[in-house]
Amino acid sequence: MSWASVQAARLRGLLRSFRGRTHLDDELDDEVQFHLEMQIEDNLKAGMDPAEAKQAARRSFGSVAAMQQSYREGSSITLIEEAAQDLRYALRLLRLSPGFAFTAVMVLTLAIGANTAMFSVLNTVLLQPLPYHAPERLAVLWTEDPSRNFREGRSALWDVQQWRAHSRSLEDLATYDAMSMFLTGPGGVEQITGAGISPNLLPMLGVQPLLGRGFTAEEVAQGQRHILISHGFWQARLGGSPGALGTTLTVNNRPSQIIGILPPGFQVARLNADIWEAHGRPEGVRGREAWFVMGRLRPGATFEQAQADITAGASQWREQLPAEARGRTIRVVPLNLYLVGAQSRMGLWMLGGGVFCVFLIAAANVTSLSLARSAVRMREIAMRAALGASAARILRQLCTEGFLLALIAGLCGTLLASVFIHLIRAFGPDNLPRLKDAALDPLVLACALAITLLAGILVGLPPALALLRRDLRPSGAEGGRSVSGGVGVRRVRQSLVVADFALAIMLLAGAGLLIRSWWNVSGVDPGFRSERVLVMELSAPMALSVPAKQSLYQQVLETVQALPDVEQAGYIGELFKQNNRQEMVTVDQGNNGTASGRLQFSAEEISAHLLQALGTPLLRGRPFSNQDRPETTPVAIINDAMARRSWPGKDPLGRRFKLGPLDSASPWYTVVGVVANVRAQGPEREAFPQMFVPLAQSTPPRTLDLFLRTAAKDPQRMANTIRKAVHGLEKNASLGAAASLEEQFGAYTAERRFQTALLIAFSLTALLMAAVGINGLIQYSIATRTQEIGVRLAVGAQTGEIFRMILAEGLKLGLIGIAVGMPVALLLGQAGANLLFGVSPTDPATLLVVSILPVAVAAASCVVPARRAMRIDPILALRQY
Amino acid sequence: MENARNKAEVLQGTLILLVLQTLESLGPLHGYGVARRIEQISQETLQLNQGTLYPALLRMEQEGWITSCWSTSENNRKAKFYAISATGRKRLVRETEDWRRISSTIERFLELQTSSPAKGRS
Repeated sequence: MSWASVQAARLRGLLRSFRGRTHLDDELDDEVQFHLEMQIEDNLKAGMDPAEAKQAARRSFGSVAAMQQSYREGSSITLIEEAAQDLRYALRLLRLSPGFAFTAVMVLTLAIGANTAMFSVLNTVLLQPLPYHAPERLAVLWTEDPSRNFREGRSALWDVQQWRAHSRSLEDLATYDAMSMFLTGPGGVEQITGAGISPNLLPMLGVQPLLGRGFTAEEVAQGQRHILISHGFWQARLGGSPGALGTTLTVNNRPSQIIGILPPGFQVARLNADIWEAHGRPEGVRGREAWFVMGRLRPGATFEQAQADITAGASQWREQLPAEARGRTIRVVPLNLYLVGAQSRMGLWMLGGGVFCVFLIAAANVTSLSLARSAVRMREIAMRAALGASAARILRQLCTEGFLLALIAGLCGTLLASVFIHLIRAFGPDNLPRLKDAALDPLVLACALAITLLAGILVGLPPALALLRRDLRPSGAEGGRSVSGGVGVRRVRQSLVVADFALAIMLLAGAGLLIRSWWNVSGVDPGFRSERVLVMELSAPMALSVPAKQSLYQQVLETVQALPDVEQAGYIGELFKQNNRQEMVTVDQGNNGTASGRLQFSAEEISAHLLQALGTPLLRGRPFSNQDRPETTPVAIINDAMARRSWPGKDPLGRRFKLGPLDSASPWYTVVGVVANVRAQGPEREAFPQMFVPLAQSTPPRTLDLFLRTAAKDPQRMANTIRKAVHGLEKNASLGAAASLEEQFGAYTAERRFQTALLIAFSLTALLMAAVGINGLIQYSIATRTQEIGVRLAVGAQTGEIFRMILAEGLKLGLIGIAVGMPVALLLGQAGANLLFGVSPTDPATLLVVSILPVAVAAASCVVPARRAMRIDPILALRQY
Repeated sequence: MENARNKAEVLQGTLILLVLQTLESLGPLHGYGVARRIEQISQETLQLNQGTLYPALLRMEQEGWITSCWSTSENNRKAKFYAISATGRKRLVRETEDWRRISSTIERFLELQTSSPAKGRS
């Protein structure tokens, strides 16, 4: 109780002290005055003479100053008072040197802002747990055949059943896949993104629908058509009204009842969809290998155990698999690793490290500048110490300046971080999950605070410690020279500049290698010309017969080609492949010999002139023509990769091949042309064998990608025109959204561009800061060596020599920095080799070019101060002695 | 020298008690009056550094044991007078009890010490 009232009184005293000199101080003076007067009177009465009386009174009172100090400490919270004093003083000092204050705050703001933004990205993409129950126990399972380079393959439902039955480490397994769905509404048929999931998927993930309920196995077995809809779909199409629950939508021409609405942002791994359906298990049939599989570990089991389990158990059902599936293996991958692959993780952590390096450089620079300034305050510090300030008090006061700078920079930096985050959200790559969720949430703000404190310590402490370590004698001749900082401060600043350059070269090396990689990737010939090309997915209704589909596709193509502004158009089944298939291909070698083998392979139906439309060069033979019809010989055009693989060293024109083993019923195709490779999985993956068959000669697929190269200014309007035309031809056909081919292909390299751009930004910032640092140091060095330079000039040195001397000092530091940083850069390059394309981490050309930059910067930063040094008047310089 | 130091140490711990008792028995008094009174009653055996009184008075006022106001002294000078408060009286009672208890315990302890050597001899 009384402790509280004491503290309250002290707080009142504190607040009073903020309003100026306290009433309390004056009162105390009056009291002391009264006391002494009374004592003197009594002393006089006791018979002392006036002088003696005064002395005795003072003696019996004791030290007034000490008592006043004690009193003051008791009447207020001196810690805060002193901190406020220090803050005011620091502000005043900063106002006196606006140049330093501005540079320091700007540099630290950049560093704190960049680090906070980067942490926000790392947080949402890597650190935050996924929105599922116990996400660390979730895994994705792949069917693979590593000997044939068949990876991340989907699985059959029957296989998944076996895994569930035979695995001891997996608690549950669920399947899912994207599905095209057609929603029939008042405006016609529309294609929407849909997904099919097994009924146990939601419970396994631990996700509850926002409204309503999930699927049950019984209902699925009974064949009831229930669907779940996404939150976005619910808001946009159904007005977000709870009444939507229980209503029926016509999906794929069948009435389906909405039984639940999913929470906002719901995704299964990377799969996002508007409408979700449940699928059951077809009894007795293995099913197609078409499903993604997710599993949950039992509590306490590890991924390795699950992997071992499944691999061991596979032998039990292997015999029941069809022949070609027996060699397959099953791979268990933790969900986290699947979502953000090892390579992306590495990239992100490296960027994080890079941005932290920039922070260290920034702090080093500001510390360096601070050290220079604090050297000038030696006399003031010595005076304070002589007047009785404790070392702790002085330290606190010196540190306040650094903390003040850090605090201001911290506030500005946090604002800057929100701008950066906005930019990252807008321009970042799409394949980093949850990148769009990056924000300034409390954890990120806490990180900003931590970094600000760290900056405060790094910037405030070294100058303070440097000063305290000096002999705190009042200045004399010794003090005069020690004002220039002495050897100690100079050495520290030099090592800071060296550290600057070392870090800068590390970042530059990384950026240089990434730029080279990016250059190489850009140079990869995609195999087609992508400018001004629109892609749309055309779907024919299921009910249509084969000839009707062919006729529809033909008519749509003719309509499109007739449109003004359309230069070329064509169809292809699917240009960009998500996964590779493995196919058995039997090849006619000529000389009556055949060979069968498995190829990672894709086959596409194309309209006759598509390859010309795409701009894929024809290497040999002829393109398809209108002569290739259902009644003529089945022909195919193959790509260069397939030609090399299947007929190495020979001319494939005129040769035949078929899909499947020799005795399969599939037709023999005759090769009529060979085209260049089309990079159907992005520029960084190797081209794989592809074959093209004329649409006219094959069974028309359900959906086709429609291509058009157009000069139209407004692609959306063109898309709408075409959509109307399609709708006019066939009411239930649908045309998906129009996408630019350049954008689609560009998406493959979006992540690389992101990483490269960021690293370039970091390294340029680092270089800028290193320039500022070395410039400051050289200026300081000249200022302290003015006498020496004066002497040299007076004794006969040429101004050119002085110039070279200063320049050499700066260059030496830069070179040492490069020498120190290069080995580390090489090491880091090895660690991050996966991120590179077409260039080795120790590529000499890149490293050489990248080293020239800091050297040039170091030289350039020293030029101006060096020229000023040349013009020192020796007489004036010597007079300073 | 050593005597003075011992005296000072004893005084530190009991200053509150002495001040409160003084104000209780003499009524409102200024700082100098309290100091003189303490020196008088202790018959010059306790000689405090008079200055140390004022921080103690401040602390006691913050605790709420005494109150202060400015008034005129007996010789028409302006002085700050202190008076004991109700809380202060309670505190005085407690401090007095504590002091009596401690000093009687020590008294007993010292009696035992002086009597035991005699026992040993017989």
